[in-house]
Amino acid sequence: MKTFKISNATELWQKETSLPAVASFSQSLDNILGINGFQLGSIIELLGLPGAGKTQLCLQLCASVQIPKELGGLNAEALYIDTNTNFTISRFREILSASLLRCQTILGEPLQMTENEALSKLHYVNAFGLEKFCAFMYRLPKFIEAHPNVKLIAIDSIAYPFKDGIPTKQRTGLLFRQMAELQRIAVQHQIAVVLSNEMSTRVGLSGGAVVGSLGDAWAHRCNVRLLLSTPQVTQDSTERLALLLKSNVAASTVARFKITEEGIRDAE
Amino acid sequence: MQKLKAQNFNNLSESIIRTLAQNRIVTILDFLQEDVSKLTSLTKLSLHDVLTIRNEIFTTYSAPLINGTALLTKVYKSRSRISSGIDSLDSITNGGFPVRHITEICGLADSGKSQLCFQLAINVAKDDDSTVLYVDTKGDFSAVRVQKMLDAQGYSHKDMASIMYRIRVVHIWTMADLVDLFKGIKNKALEIENLALVIVDSLPCLMFQHLGDDNKMGLSLLNILVNYSRFIANEFNVAIIYINIQTRWIDSDISDLEDDGESTSAYKEAAYIEKKNRCLGKYWESVPVLVLQLEKLDLSSKENETCTELKASIITSNVTKSNNNQCVLNLSTMGIT
Repeated sequence: MKTFKISNATELWQKETSLPAVASFSQSLDNILGINGFQLGSIIELLGLPGAGKTQLCLQLCASVQIPKELGGLNAEALYIDTNTNFTISRFREILSASLLRCQTILGEPLQMTENEALSKLHYVNAFGLEKFCAFMYRLPKFIEAHPNVKLIAIDSIAYPFKDGIPTKQRTGLLFRQMAELQRIAVQHQIAVVLSNEMSTRVGLSGGAVVGSLGDAWAHRCNVRLLLSTPQVTQDSTERLALLLKSNVAASTVARFKITEEGIRDAE
Repeated sequence: MQKLKAQNFNNLSESIIRTLAQNRIVTILDFLQEDVSKLTSLTKLSLHDVLTIRNEIFTTYSAPLINGTALLTKVYKSRSRISSGIDSLDSITNGGFPVRHITEICGLADSGKSQLCFQLAINVAKDDDSTVLYVDTKGDFSAVRVQKMLDAQGYSHKDMASIMYRIRVVHIWTMADLVDLFKGIKNKALEIENLALVIVDSLPCLMFQHLGDDNKMGLSLLNILVNYSRFIANEFNVAIIYINIQTRWIDSDISDLEDDGESTSAYKEAAYIEKKNRCLGKYWESVPVLVLQLEKLDLSSKENETCTELKASIITSNVTKSNNNQCVLNLSTMGIT
């Protein structure tokens, strides 16, 4: 018979608080999440219309995971699973060097790391198409074992591979199997998982017709859901709003942040 | 089916068992179905002996008879409800969740199901001799949140630690594992002292993994799980709560097919009917004896933004008989009250 690890809540509390969360460089955004950032061991879903900043936030988090331990960071690596080819290395480089520069100014001494070293801490996978995506998800446990210092997995976007070529029922089955495996790895190795998801329209829904894609059952799967949007009236075109739709820790609130050249920052 | 074993019956020796096995009589069922006269000739036992064995089998393996008085005393001796610790919820459920039965809590995503579960786990674990088993299938159990709730309610660190110690969490990722876990509890291979409440958050997460398969694996596992759950609930006097989700289904209302043409299309408003649908299918529908639905009420009516109102309503129930089947719960940093 299989043995099951039954832990009591005290042990889990120690585990959950032993490592810091991944910071987004925007304090108000970190605050609404309730635990000062993106919790390790959780699956966090970023929702939003095109241009709301989903990819930018993913890139920022991939850079943030490298914050040195002296500054309360993780000094870890990130895995970026690119399914919609939204990733650009030049933009990531921009955000990464700005983030590291900021760490340097706070620390007051130069970091012991070259740009190449920092860039090599990002593992990038181009998983375009359903077959490639599934094949990589299948290999993921081995990858994580080979790279134990990965503390963040970003999938941009989760809906893209499933857009075509799979019946709805099978899609849900496959997605839930993949998410169970992903979460098992995330909980076991204390990794934060960030997924981006697109919006879709459901005509006639009482709570508003624009909802996250992949259906109601999916809405229930992720631990945290964050809706990003562009405010309708604003002078600053870089400003964005984040609404916490679902969380197991914090109540639903709104945060303001902006997307600058350096990455995600607090809005003035 | 169980095999015939020599030690269970006085008249059966090892050699007789071997002879029977050569004649393809291996299990108890084979023995019962075989002609008695053939058995006597095979085993060289007297007819009377063979009949005794048959009777022995029937008395050991048939379902036991219990008379009404004994049943009633059993029910009176053990508690029949486990208090949720939330007064309004207790009042609509006639004193709490039914012990020895399966309860379901359902709702849309973000309707406060997990939060209610945390609160229930805390409230039950407050009692020194009750342990809660929290089966987490999607990594939703947040010990940080539980600690914050206890902190906001003003517990000392020592009390917090002992309450949290009595909340046992197990991560389960597949349906087969969940069945194995329940089997372990049933066989007492996995012992949890003073178990009072089992919360499974959430079942659809596991069941949906089998969606789209052509075989009926998921359903068969669900069936086994339900059987184990019922056994455990009865045997150990525990309440079992399953979390289910709801999905929304939209029908466009085709109210007037024979439109007489007077109303132009510009005047016609599209009417949509939104239906809520409990997941997990037809079989599951009738498994829980109590189904509690959670809904999030609009924030707009409330000026105090730190608190969200949840509406809890009983959809189906075999165990309550009160007229009032709805109540409003408050969700805040303190938890649910």
